[in-house]
Amino acid sequence: MSQVSLTEQPHMQQVDLTQLNLAQLTQLKQQLDQELSVFQDSLTRLKIAQGKYQESNESLDKFTPEAEGKDILVPLTGSMYVPGKLINTSKVVIDVGTGYYTEQYIADAKEYFKRRINYVTEQIKKIQAMGQEKSKIREAMMDVMEMKLQSAQKEMAEKA
Amino acid sequence: MTEELQKKLQSEIEEYKQVQKEYQKLCSRRQQLDSQLSENTIVDEELKLMKTGNEIYKLVGPILIKQDPIEAKENVKKRLEFINSDIKRTEEAISSIEKKQEVHRNKLEALQVQFQKAQMMMAQKAK
Repeated sequence: MSQVSLTEQPHMQQVDLTQLNLAQLTQLKQQLDQELSVFQDSLTRLKIAQGKYQESNESLDKFTPEAEGKDILVPLTGSMYVPGKLINTSKVVIDVGTGYYTEQYIADAKEYFKRRINYVTEQIKKIQAMGQEKSKIREAMMDVMEMKLQSAQKEMAEKA
Repeated sequence: MTEELQKKLQSEIEEYKQVQKEYQKLCSRRQQLDSQLSENTIVDEELKLMKTGNEIYKLVGPILIKQDPIEAKENVKKRLEFINSDIKRTEEAISSIEKKQEVHRNKLEALQVQFQKAQMMMAQKAK
């Protein structure tokens, strides 16, 4: 899970793209491409996390007092289950990260998942906004590169 | 003359590549620290939100061990401090290596210009 802030680049400054030479532009483009692929990566991962939290939240709906004493199948591995009985439906234990697990009442657990979903959704929005910004910059850069290339070719042609 | 230049150019490129590798390593380290920081921040918040009376466990190998809430909170706080100072250190290393990269790039450019000049001279002589 990665957190991204919008104010991350302290060394960013305004640069007139037309002032850069082709080598610099290529370098910048590489950098942008890299950043964009990192964004894409983070987005996929965040969406997976979002889904998992949602799933956990929904499965808590089945944890009602009426379910106490009912038979369940407990997964020992991904493909093997053993029969069990639900003996406590008021509390669950949640993995809050870095190896810590906390005991929570169902209502609190649901709150927890809601908080996490909100957090992840917010991060997704942030990254999407940044991705759009970068794409725009990249497009503008491609235009400038195209222009530079053409004028360079013209010069070559005139010299020849 | 050009051979000598070529050798210089090659070794300079090697060095530049080395620096770039290091830079990338530091950057991924920085990212890793960032995600660790956010994960620990979340845990810190969650522990603060915990109701008293509810247990805290810590995963040690395959088992969950009951933890003293105060101790757990302090542990996370310490970890946060540690990560923050590590981030600071990594950032300093990154900015210093960025400078190094710049120097190498300039050197390379100068060498390339020299190399091209030498080649042109050779070509003219050959005529």
